[in-house]
Amino acid sequence: MSAVTKAAPSHGKLDIKFRNVRGKTSLVDCYQQPPLKASRALYIEGTRKATVYLMESSGGLVAGDRNDFTVELEENTEVVLKPQSATKVYPAFNNQPSEQTITIHIGENSHLEWNRDEIIPFERAKFNGKSRVQMTNSSSLLWNEIIYSGREKRGEKFAFQECNTHLEVWMEAECVVYDSLKLHPKEQELQQLSVLEDFNYIGNLWFICSEASKVDSTEFQKLLVQTENHKSGISTLDGKGILVRWLSNNLPLIKREMETLDMHLLTK
Amino acid sequence: MKKQSVDSSSPLNTEGINTNFLYLMHIHDSAFPIGSYTQSFGMETYIQSDDILTKQKLFSFLKAYVSENLLFTDAIFVKEAYEHFQNDDWNAIVRLENICDASKNATETREASKMMGKQFLRGILPVFPDEGLTKWKAALDNGQVKGHFPIVYSLYTLKMAFDLFTTILTYLYSSTISLVHNGVRAIPLGQKAGIEIIHKLIPEIIEAAKKAMNLNLDDLSNHAVGLEIASMQHAYLHSRLFIS
Repeated sequence: MSAVTKAAPSHGKLDIKFRNVRGKTSLVDCYQQPPLKASRALYIEGTRKATVYLMESSGGLVAGDRNDFTVELEENTEVVLKPQSATKVYPAFNNQPSEQTITIHIGENSHLEWNRDEIIPFERAKFNGKSRVQMTNSSSLLWNEIIYSGREKRGEKFAFQECNTHLEVWMEAECVVYDSLKLHPKEQELQQLSVLEDFNYIGNLWFICSEASKVDSTEFQKLLVQTENHKSGISTLDGKGILVRWLSNNLPLIKREMETLDMHLLTK
Repeated sequence: MKKQSVDSSSPLNTEGINTNFLYLMHIHDSAFPIGSYTQSFGMETYIQSDDILTKQKLFSFLKAYVSENLLFTDAIFVKEAYEHFQNDDWNAIVRLENICDASKNATETREASKMMGKQFLRGILPVFPDEGLTKWKAALDNGQVKGHFPIVYSLYTLKMAFDLFTTILTYLYSSTISLVHNGVRAIPLGQKAGIEIIHKLIPEIIEAAKKAMNLNLDDLSNHAVGLEIASMQHAYLHSRLFIS
């Protein structure tokens, strides 16, 4: 798709709702407005989870485009949402930012996996992403995300104008996650010690659950490779969650480690 | 805070100078321990990995600490808290404090901020039994708030009638300078190097405080990801001089 030939900005919408119908998680409501689309619920053998692929038919966000996701999990449901591809953010040629909002509600005894949000801001792109999750003490959330510094194969590195992401998670009335990243390469000195250093990728794995204190983070630490080109840290969020954060130049390794940790967390 | 009067060049003329400033100096000197000398907020990880070994490296690290970390995190909490306390908006304060806690991703850094806030309160309350601080202590005791330092700092400076700019400026100054002291001790560097670094940092601190005056909660940003990871890794270092 050519970014420049695209006419009016698009406004994609996807509202999906899950319900436990006779012991099975079903996709009971799906409103979709192009370019966003959801697959039907798929059931992978051996799991009770409903897996839904999130599709974006336009190929990426062009200046002024906006995508809004609303996800509701009623009580006793288990859902895996898989964006089919990374979100590509094209140049903001008219200086208009591209926006993405994700609003999630997770009911009692329900579990959601968002696997995975990947943002690739192209040269001169402007991106604003806001994700908000409201959950209960008995629900759980697994959220994986990777932010790219650009299209690495084209040698783009922090050539975008702005990339703003924000994730907040509220467990009942308590804020458990409030994480904003505002990357403005022209105004900030991102590539220095203590900031983003010489790394091209930021990875985040959030596991939020009131029983997260049972997870042994020392055991996790042993599963993570630390090299000059790839590092990570683990943090426990006051017993209500785990964050693993990466700075890396090795994208396949981040993905591999995320998958390993996801598996460990989900089999606990 | 009032500005010094025109003829304040005479050291004998104290008229117009907010003499309360001495109280502010006191809470930042070593006779008022809030535990900052035991915290490195992740810096020690970089010292041990040999990334900060010289005067120049320590200066660059702290310059980034002020302009890419503190400015987008604690400076915003100090400012927002000051304004909410000024408006006496208790619900907004409690929400802000909760967000402050949640936004500090690295466990040790989050704990350090709480510990310093609690120690500050423990030190100041007996000598300054202000109503607002007493209410804050009660909220801390009943679990309504966690006690983060940037929030209670604003409460104190507001009660002492210091203006918002002075509040942000002195918060940034004390947070940065304690890391200079700790860096000088841990690397180690000489005292002269420390003085030189502080003098070079002061313009950076002033610049950051000016910028902070125009920021709000929407500008919050944890983009000092390297420091955050360093703080997370700190718990796994073999030997440590600092708690964080």
